[in-house]
Amino acid sequence: MSAVAIDEPVDRATTEAGQALHGLTRLRLAGPLTAATAPQLRARIRDVLEHGHPRVVVDLQAVTGLDAAGLAVLLDARRMLLAQAGGTLVLRANGIVCRALKETGTIAAFALSHGSGM
Amino acid sequence: MNAVEHPGADAPSQSGPRARPAEQGVVISRGTRVYLRTMVPQDLEHLSAWVEDPFLERMVGSEFLHSYKHVWDKSPAFYESVLTDPTQVALVIEAYRGWTKPVGVVRLFNIHLLEGYAFLETILTDMRAMKRGFGIEAAKLIAYYGMDVLGLRRLEAKVYEYNVLSMNSLRRNGFRQEGVLRQAGYDGERYWDLVIFGILKDEIEAVRRRDKVYLPLDPSEGNGREPT
Repeated sequence: MSAVAIDEPVDRATTEAGQALHGLTRLRLAGPLTAATAPQLRARIRDVLEHGHPRVVVDLQAVTGLDAAGLAVLLDARRMLLAQAGGTLVLRANGIVCRALKETGTIAAFALSHGSGM
Repeated sequence: MNAVEHPGADAPSQSGPRARPAEQGVVISRGTRVYLRTMVPQDLEHLSAWVEDPFLERMVGSEFLHSYKHVWDKSPAFYESVLTDPTQVALVIEAYRGWTKPVGVVRLFNIHLLEGYAFLETILTDMRAMKRGFGIEAAKLIAYYGMDVLGLRRLEAKVYEYNVLSMNSLRRNGFRQEGVLRQAGYDGERYWDLVIFGILKDEIEAVRRRDKVYLPLDPSEGNGREPT
């Protein structure tokens, strides 16, 4: 039910995508990203920022649903990260997430990674 | 977030007996009389009953309920469709005491996150709940949520011209009448005007500052829509 955020290091030694995303903190989510779970991601983003890591890739490959609250937290994360010097947010989106971004006209707001690695 | 720090008179105490056997879903916001929680699959049972209520159909004319009944044919898949809709947030309204089931649904829909606006719909399914101001508080809580969490700066609502109670509820929450869509609604027998209400972020903030304590409501006031 709940989206789970797991921090994992990018395996840059073995994957092309990993090399491209070297230096980014990775947050991997699973399950629905909705009003019920979005606060968890917001808290994780704040936590990452407090630890001085403004370059983040959010892996949404295992996300099974995205409502307006989930989308809002992604936009908020983008705003918070880009406000930092050198800040970056990259989304690794699946079909569900891509459809939601397109439907809401927000896809252009995000940098997307389509690499199969990581 | 917009959760009220101190539970009001209707809120259950931490150690006292609970009015409900278990709190389903995730609580998003708490007021003094009601709280809002996320939908769970079991809520479809309530929706199934509500969509058959002709009073609700006439007073609210909800696309949400209409879609569940006529588009989804009361399919369980409706729950997933709501959960994965990036243009809405639908929350269930629960009263703290005296009710054995949810009292309604409040939702923000047609949410435009980049532009910062959305539409508000409040569906109260029990006349006793309406008279206790549960709808007013539920709308207030989701308005705060829309502003604080979704980053919205404007909300809109449409009301049938004969639904004076809803119009007064919106006004109590600081909404202003912005216009009338002439004969834009149809109740199966005749066409009715739809009255458009709107509220901006600073006006929502003003309501929040004003309403530190919710007082008992007066009897229905005013005469519905304003002259245009």
